[in-house]
Amino acid sequence: MRTYEIFLKRDGQEEYRHAGSIDAPDDELALLLARENYLRRAEGDLLWMVDRQHLLIGDRDFVAPNSDKPHRDNDGLLVAAHRKSQRESR
Amino acid sequence: MGRTWSSMDDFEAFLNDGGMVEVDDDMPDEYRTAVFRFIELHANSELMGGLTERDWIPMTPGLRHKMAVLAKSQDEIGHGHLLYMVAADLGVKTRREMLEDLFAGRSRFHNVFHYKVRTWGDQVAICLLVDGAAVPSQKAVYKDCSYGPYKRILKRILAEEGFHLRLGEERVLRIAEGTDAQRAMFQQSIDDWWWPALRLFGPDSKPNDRLARWRLKSEKNEVMRAGWVQKFVPMLHSYGFTIPDPGLTHDAQTDTWTCGPIDWEPLKRTMAMDGPDTARRIAEASAAWETTRWVRDALDAAPAGAVA
Ligand SMILES: [Fe+2]
Ligand SMILES: [Fe+2]
Repeated sequence: MRTYEIFLKRDGQEEYRHAGSIDAPDDELALLLARENYLRRAEGDLLWMVDRQHLLIGDRDFVAPNSDKPHRDNDGLLVAAHRKSQRESR
Repeated sequence: MGRTWSSMDDFEAFLNDGGMVEVDDDMPDEYRTAVFRFIELHANSELMGGLTERDWIPMTPGLRHKMAVLAKSQDEIGHGHLLYMVAADLGVKTRREMLEDLFAGRSRFHNVFHYKVRTWGDQVAICLLVDGAAVPSQKAVYKDCSYGPYKRILKRILAEEGFHLRLGEERVLRIAEGTDAQRAMFQQSIDDWWWPALRLFGPDSKPNDRLARWRLKSEKNEVMRAGWVQKFVPMLHSYGFTIPDPGLTHDAQTDTWTCGPIDWEPLKRTMAMDGPDTARRIAEASAAWETTRWVRDALDAAPAGAVA
């Protein structure tokens, strides 16, 4: 038995979204089972599946360094404060 | 497999109904080529912009702003990468072919990246006026874009362009509060970059624009240009700077600024790859492509698992 991760997409602008997972002995049956469990009422127009063991995972520790890079944004506060003081002095 | 359409009329009816095209759809060749060209031009421009941005990392004043320029350069090069992937998936050219065409001067990039960046003031003007033109242009594509993969990537790119624009506004504030020499430097940069940035929107849109019909554009060039003028004229005036446009007019009733007649000759020259800094920029980009060849060769030659 293998475990597959299932992603669904509706036609239109939205991305593929993770919908859940399913166990199946092979790819062919996995697709069928995914359709009959996750797309019972055509909840998506397209289906992607990937064997869980082929998923590459970047965990929280791996991603964490990028939560502390304030130089990659600008909050605009300085400019907002300047505009406010300009308005008030008018 | 993807969807097919029996004729162009059929396909256009699908687009008319708000349909979104995905990469595995059997789209008409004309649409495929037009979308590809559009994205390739966008990707090339991001990369050429990012390369010049990179040149300014050592010259940017102050650690805080230097770090911001690092982030912005990475963003722009990253935008190029994201877009080249989307373009390559269309199967017209591979990513490597696109890069080779760009560095050989065989494919185009936006007019503003054909000019020389001389001073820090120029960098500030670019961050405000050029990123400030990129944002509404890209938003207008994003808004109603019929090609799904491009629309999704644009969403991400636009979030980062917002950062660039806010950064630009802060830089302008700081330089405006600077010394007389700094202010004079920036005035010169406005004088040099105002018109190239304004011409980025292109001439007025044609009535039956194919790209509009196919929902790659959702706004007329002249409307976006007018919005840009309306935004930046009062902003720069408020800091005491002048706009190098003798034909600029102000309607006091509606508080609307309108630019004077536009000379399109410089745009034509950049489109013909004959701008003031075109040759140097391409030579530099192509030299960088050559000196990094060994990396690509090594990656190509490495057996799977060797680069762990
Ligand atoms: Fe960008
Ligand atoms: Fe940008």
